[in-house]
Amino acid sequence: MDAISHKQSFWTKYIFSTDHKVIGMQYAIMGIIMAGVGGFLAYIFRYNLAFPGAYIPLFGHLSAMQYNAFVTCHGMIMVFWVGMPVLLSSLGNLLIPLMIGTDDMAFPTVNMLSFWIFFVSALVLLSSFFVPGGAFGGGWTMYPPFSAGGYVNKNPAFFKELFSGTSLMILAVALELVAMLMGGINFLVTTINKRAKGMTPFKIPIVVWFINIASVIFMFSVGPLVAGAFMLLFDNVLGTGFYDPARGGDPMLWEHLFWFFGHPEVYVLLLPALGVLAEVFPVFSRKPLFAYKPIVYLALVSAILSVLVWAHHQFVAGIDPRMATFFSIGTILISIPFAGIFLSFMATLWGGSIRFTVPMMWALGFIGLFLIGGLTGLYLGSNAFDIYAHDTYFVVTHFHYTLFPDIFFGFFAAVYFWFPKFTGKTLNSALGKLHFWCTFFFFNGTWFVLFFNGLAGQHRRINDYSDFSLIMKEPYMSFEKFATVCAILLILSQFIFLYNLFTSLAKAKTSVRNPWQSNTLEWLAESPPPHGNFETYPEVYRGPYDYSVPGSTEDFLPQNVPVAHGEAEAIANVQNGITTSTNTI
Amino acid sequence: MSKDHQAHLSLPANKVPEGRLGMWILIAGELVIFGGLIASYLEFRIRYPQWGEMAAHTSTLIGAINTVVLLCSSYTIVKAHEAAQRLDIHKVMIWMSCTVMGGLIFLVDKSIEYYHEISEGFTFTSPKLQMAGDHVGSLFWSYYYIMTGLHGTHVLVGMTVMIIIMFQIRKGQNLHRVELAGMYWHMVDLIWIFLFPLLYIAK
Amino acid sequence: MNIFPENVSTYGQELDNLFWLITVFVMIAFVVSLFVLIYPLIKYRKKPSIKAEYITGERKKHFKWVVIALALLLASDFVIMYCEHDAWDQIESVPAKADVRVGIIARQWNWIFVYPGPDGILNTSDDVIVDELNSSLHVPINKNIVFELRSQDVIHSFFLANARFKQDVLPGRTVVRWFNLTKEGKYDISCTQICGILHSKMRNFVIAESDDKYKHYIDSLYTANGHKTTSAK
Repeated sequence: MDAISHKQSFWTKYIFSTDHKVIGMQYAIMGIIMAGVGGFLAYIFRYNLAFPGAYIPLFGHLSAMQYNAFVTCHGMIMVFWVGMPVLLSSLGNLLIPLMIGTDDMAFPTVNMLSFWIFFVSALVLLSSFFVPGGAFGGGWTMYPPFSAGGYVNKNPAFFKELFSGTSLMILAVALELVAMLMGGINFLVTTINKRAKGMTPFKIPIVVWFINIASVIFMFSVGPLVAGAFMLLFDNVLGTGFYDPARGGDPMLWEHLFWFFGHPEVYVLLLPALGVLAEVFPVFSRKPLFAYKPIVYLALVSAILSVLVWAHHQFVAGIDPRMATFFSIGTILISIPFAGIFLSFMATLWGGSIRFTVPMMWALGFIGLFLIGGLTGLYLGSNAFDIYAHDTYFVVTHFHYTLFPDIFFGFFAAVYFWFPKFTGKTLNSALGKLHFWCTFFFFNGTWFVLFFNGLAGQHRRINDYSDFSLIMKEPYMSFEKFATVCAILLILSQFIFLYNLFTSLAKAKTSVRNPWQSNTLEWLAESPPPHGNFETYPEVYRGPYDYSVPGSTEDFLPQNVPVAHGEAEAIANVQNGITTSTNTI
Repeated sequence: MSKDHQAHLSLPANKVPEGRLGMWILIAGELVIFGGLIASYLEFRIRYPQWGEMAAHTSTLIGAINTVVLLCSSYTIVKAHEAAQRLDIHKVMIWMSCTVMGGLIFLVDKSIEYYHEISEGFTFTSPKLQMAGDHVGSLFWSYYYIMTGLHGTHVLVGMTVMIIIMFQIRKGQNLHRVELAGMYWHMVDLIWIFLFPLLYIAK
Repeated sequence: MNIFPENVSTYGQELDNLFWLITVFVMIAFVVSLFVLIYPLIKYRKKPSIKAEYITGERKKHFKWVVIALALLLASDFVIMYCEHDAWDQIESVPAKADVRVGIIARQWNWIFVYPGPDGILNTSDDVIVDELNSSLHVPINKNIVFELRSQDVIHSFFLANARFKQDVLPGRTVVRWFNLTKEGKYDISCTQICGILHSKMRNFVIAESDDKYKHYIDSLYTANGHKTTSAK
């Protein structure tokens, strides 16, 4: 696609664009819209949990069937239609070509198709709310036999079943996975093949590394689930018995196929956000990223381990207890490489010169909250304690303390950081800080108390606790109300962001190229970058994190700045302790 | 990407041709999908020795013929690729046509086989077997049809794409895609080489 | 305020102890991590004319801190893995001496209890089935209660919080587990695997009672079902 003479109509420029930046924006917008849907669902069932049976404003009364469907769809939507598009697809598309100094992805048409398949998948999912029977209500994990119609009807009516909530959800997920696979192929081939001259592997920014590692994990682990999903679909619409014990099938097979993907999937979601942190921390500490190479190796180790721990979701499912011990060990040990990555990020701060910009605050908040989420994982990784905690609010709190910082804090850090580049405008930072603090406080308010509900034995996916004496008492009832109030305020706080977004977009362009004085290549392009990205494509001479390099006048050295005479010597002197690094100019 | 852009860019850091790289990754993804299916099948095959009796009802002859047909068509697509490298469009068309014919023969054989099996009552859900109380046996056929069906779909898709590519090659365009089609076709062949012994021979 | 509901099973205490052990490690890690995160935000805030240091983390002097932290984490991991092993084995393996055997069957949306009947053997024709909504499973205290878990339809999960016991129940398989309750009382059973529209209503009870009360219950149950009583036993 020739940037010079290529004429684009409205349709090819904004709708069916093959430009990675447009596609990246489309994914982000879809993700934000679906987050609104997922958040609205959460509002509804949280309201019901705090005030059982009450009339829910903006909705009405919530039936048990709707409750089940809404918690199921909330989970599905947040993982597949919010987390994946905003962290993997959007960031991957927006950042990779620019950060490696090239014009676009390797397969722009496939890229465009991937978004539209994703779009259709979202429509299919949303349509499942409106078919007879409503959306599927058996948990996002979709365990058969319940998800196979309970095998009550062994001779299903094909079309009736094909358009049931269950089948539509399976189809929606399948389409979404196909879209993500297509995206992943693009990310990998582009990163391998189209890097700027001089950008050797250990000069690639961490976010690009991590998005690629996430893509590899995804593509390796999703295959068995695709096979399993076909089998589940056929059980539903054709009456096969893949998961029917009466026909020699086994519901446990689904559990393994699902979690073999389901566990690596959380690292697929985590890695891009960690990559964002790796970009933000050095810029706002004016210091190199601590232990860049070890971080890459630790991520690779984590990736390998991530496909070996899946059955910790099945400790009480009836798997062989010895197998459970194996998975428990792996799960507890996987904390080590991730701890190494987090410690390295935090070490980047020590000795720095820290600026508290909005992206930096989101990044710091991410670490603080994820710490809680990650540490509570230690309890759940222990097979014995998991016997008690499984399917209680302890688990729900654990994964919200990991996924929410991951998806939302990670995404907002990225948005506030790269907004000037992709729009040429600036977001109001006072509003940004208000958005951050509100989100931080209301998130903790919602979830911290629910740890205690979980430990008290409150089980999950229950619309009505009135029969359960362990829960129907103080302080747990008050905690539910408190959590709901905070959740509503948390959702409302996001309107601060939307207001900021729209008012900032309405302002005139400032078009500053490199407002944060960052090293990576995307800051060389215009703000916003034109079709084709760079006027002249950069050549790379250094890594991405050369901040406060001894002997240099500026405290940052973009990747395309050649190594100065004497620079290596000045660095070596500091590295060997001959001179101290500060004040050597 | 136009040649002007290519000129603007310096050489890529790594010189693996992009189409090939993309195809390798696609193949890896597909192999994991079939790997999951095959692993599930194997688990049950070991659990249910009676599946051996069910496997006796698949036609080893047709299965063997199909194996030979696919192997030959993998050979012909390699010849097509060689011709493409020599820019011999005429030969490319001939060899690719042979490959597509191979796929067609495969699908026709498969249809004949399916017809026989269905008329004997061995279907995706095998209601006859179930009514006779042989539920475990009926599950064998579910796996048989999903594995061979998914594989057959891949054969069909491969053939379709090859025909589309042939139209482009007639005009002298996109000759590099012959190799990519070949890689995909080898994958289809490879999967079949696993399916054949699992579903047809091992009794 | 007690964090956990009252524990009345023999292996429950070990589970609770495991929780507190992990909590010690987690608290230390949390406090140290917060310090490592927050202290630099104060000490190294941007100050005019003071440059950041050029630290890449490649030098041993700096990287050793990460290695030390990871080594400590690994050590605590091993302690946790060692300590959990015992509790896990206890809960997951059935004791040799089974004092009482019962069957527990899950069905949308009720728990069904199966008593072995006068012959004392489960899965025989004289078994007594209690199939009423919100019914109770009666067990004697201080005895090993071994039960066979089954499901008639979809996946359910048997959760007895006061015993710290949970087990998923899959159709097509029988899982044998046990507990030994040490205190009389009436304890909630909940279903912890979403199983349909009345999943929230799947609440039964375990009534742990003294030997006498238990015998009395069994006698009246068997009599009501047309069996002779067990007074001879």
